[in-house]
Amino acid sequence: MFRYLLRRAALTLPTFVALMFITFVAIRLVPGDPVEVRTGERGISPERLAQFRHELGLDQPVWKQFLDYVWGILHGDFGTSLVTNAKVLNEFATLFPATIELSLSAMLFAVLIGVPAGTIAAVKRGSPFDHTVMGASVIGFSMPIFWWGLLLIMLVSERWGLTPVSGRLDLIKYYFEPTTGFLLIDSWMSDQKGAFLSALHHLVLPTIVLGTIPLAVIARITRSSMLEVLNEDYVRTARAKGLSPLRVIGLHALRNALIPVITSIGLQIGTLLAGAVLTETIFSWPGVGKWLIEGIGRRDYPALQGGIMLISSIVIFVNLGVDVLYGAINPRLRHGR
Amino acid sequence: MAADASAAPPAMAGPKGPLADFWDSFSENRGAVAGLVLLVLIALLAIFADLVAPYSPIEQFREFSKAPPVWEDGGTWRFVLGTDALGRDMLSRLIHGARVSLFIGLSVMVVSVTIGIVLGLAAAFAGGLFDTIVMRIMDLIIAVPSLVLAILVVAILGPSLTNTIVAVTVVYLPRYVRLVRASALAEIGKDYVTAARTVGVGRIRLMFVTVLPNCLAPLIVQAALGVSDAILEAAALGFLGLGAQPPIPEWGSMLADSREFIRSDPWIVTLPGLAILFTVVSINLMGDGLRDAFDPKLKRS
Repeated sequence: MFRYLLRRAALTLPTFVALMFITFVAIRLVPGDPVEVRTGERGISPERLAQFRHELGLDQPVWKQFLDYVWGILHGDFGTSLVTNAKVLNEFATLFPATIELSLSAMLFAVLIGVPAGTIAAVKRGSPFDHTVMGASVIGFSMPIFWWGLLLIMLVSERWGLTPVSGRLDLIKYYFEPTTGFLLIDSWMSDQKGAFLSALHHLVLPTIVLGTIPLAVIARITRSSMLEVLNEDYVRTARAKGLSPLRVIGLHALRNALIPVITSIGLQIGTLLAGAVLTETIFSWPGVGKWLIEGIGRRDYPALQGGIMLISSIVIFVNLGVDVLYGAINPRLRHGR
Repeated sequence: MAADASAAPPAMAGPKGPLADFWDSFSENRGAVAGLVLLVLIALLAIFADLVAPYSPIEQFREFSKAPPVWEDGGTWRFVLGTDALGRDMLSRLIHGARVSLFIGLSVMVVSVTIGIVLGLAAAFAGGLFDTIVMRIMDLIIAVPSLVLAILVVAILGPSLTNTIVAVTVVYLPRYVRLVRASALAEIGKDYVTAARTVGVGRIRLMFVTVLPNCLAPLIVQAALGVSDAILEAAALGFLGLGAQPPIPEWGSMLADSREFIRSDPWIVTLPGLAILFTVVSINLMGDGLRDAFDPKLKRS
């Protein structure tokens, strides 16, 4: 097991190095001078310009710049934002809990609806319910979520007035110091009445929007995996023993049917983060996705570089974790290859 | 619909050709046939956009700005689906948008399938260091969330229709490379390949003529589904203002332009999204049918 873990971890190392290389090169390929962004367009004296270049390390040879960059990353320095002058890592860390909160909530939504829907569709195969679930899943899977978000805002927020249009909290009514960064937890711990409800209220639409594609995928995978499991001998045995259908399906079949579902959840983290970029933009959700898009608008390339580096590293490590976990569950994978 | 189609071909006498056989399996899936019909319709609209669309997609009727569609109060038959904020006919823009979206989807598919075949086969046949390098690069591309990578590429190249295609191609390339490499590796060990090699078939011929045709089925399915993914991704970039630039009638950027009218003129927001959804659903339905038809093992599951 340990050897498998080590080998799998070693495989991600070159990917990680290449990622650093590519983010480094990419930002240098971007048109526009970083110094110009910082100084504005009015122009400054040549001495100041040289000083800026020196501060940013731009007067060094390129290979030296790259080594400095790698050295910085290994020490947790992902650069400094040109616009706010804050460390990219700090900005990222402040905003990331909002993205995690949204993503977890979306995944929870997808699993809580997708698994039962897929299971029932498999058990009642060919029924109108099955057809509805499969039809809805094709539509969900094909959904342009940025439009879906606008549509929901239009109906639920604007026409029916049920949910807020944007943001994470009613900031006029409530304020408290962030302790965990997860507003649901922070507002729960604060003594302000209604703050928790307000946070929950703000979370509803973004959750649905971000959770739609994972929901469609999970319902589909659950259904097909359940159909396979229902044909297995042990399910027949359980039935023959006279166990109630609920027990057979809920306990014997579902447990085994969920393995591919769990794998797919792990692998969807990338999809989720990509979807978060759109969802956060639509709902003005102050997370890393919205921050990244704003970084492009402001031509804040160090922020962009650091942000992409951080997001990709997270995806790499989560995928590594999923693989290792899967190896722990499935011994065939560990010893094979 | 399915019953008609399977009864229609007079292939009942004698063994069926592979094409008739394929059509039988495909048409068994009613959703797939519906998807195909819808897709053909959209494709026809796109091809004959200049003839079908009542106006030019960029002609501005300033005095009719934000005219509602014909079924709403104040709608006229002159602009069946209404006009946008600049008074451009929505119907014409949507029809021409189909052309833009299908063009992006197909270009991305053709380019990434071609590069995918070449790199995948080369990696499978060469093995060793080349294989490792190619596959590690693909791993790297997969590690970056799709839209984030596309954003990075567009940030470097600048937003335009062509660069959208480049960005989305980069994002979806690894799928094809991995798929071709995996199916080629499965084929290389088989007897017929060894036989061909023994007879003295050259390397290039072995790759493209002997092995490739046997890897095509999964590739075709992936390519079909890849078109819809590319259309969605390109629309998302357009929505973020990083895709096709105005006045090109791209569905995603049409949505972005209309965000501020969400309260007052909902049709400007609703219609482009519906167009994206219909197109992507029809391609995905068809892709499902293709998969069923190509892979009997997966059928009806």
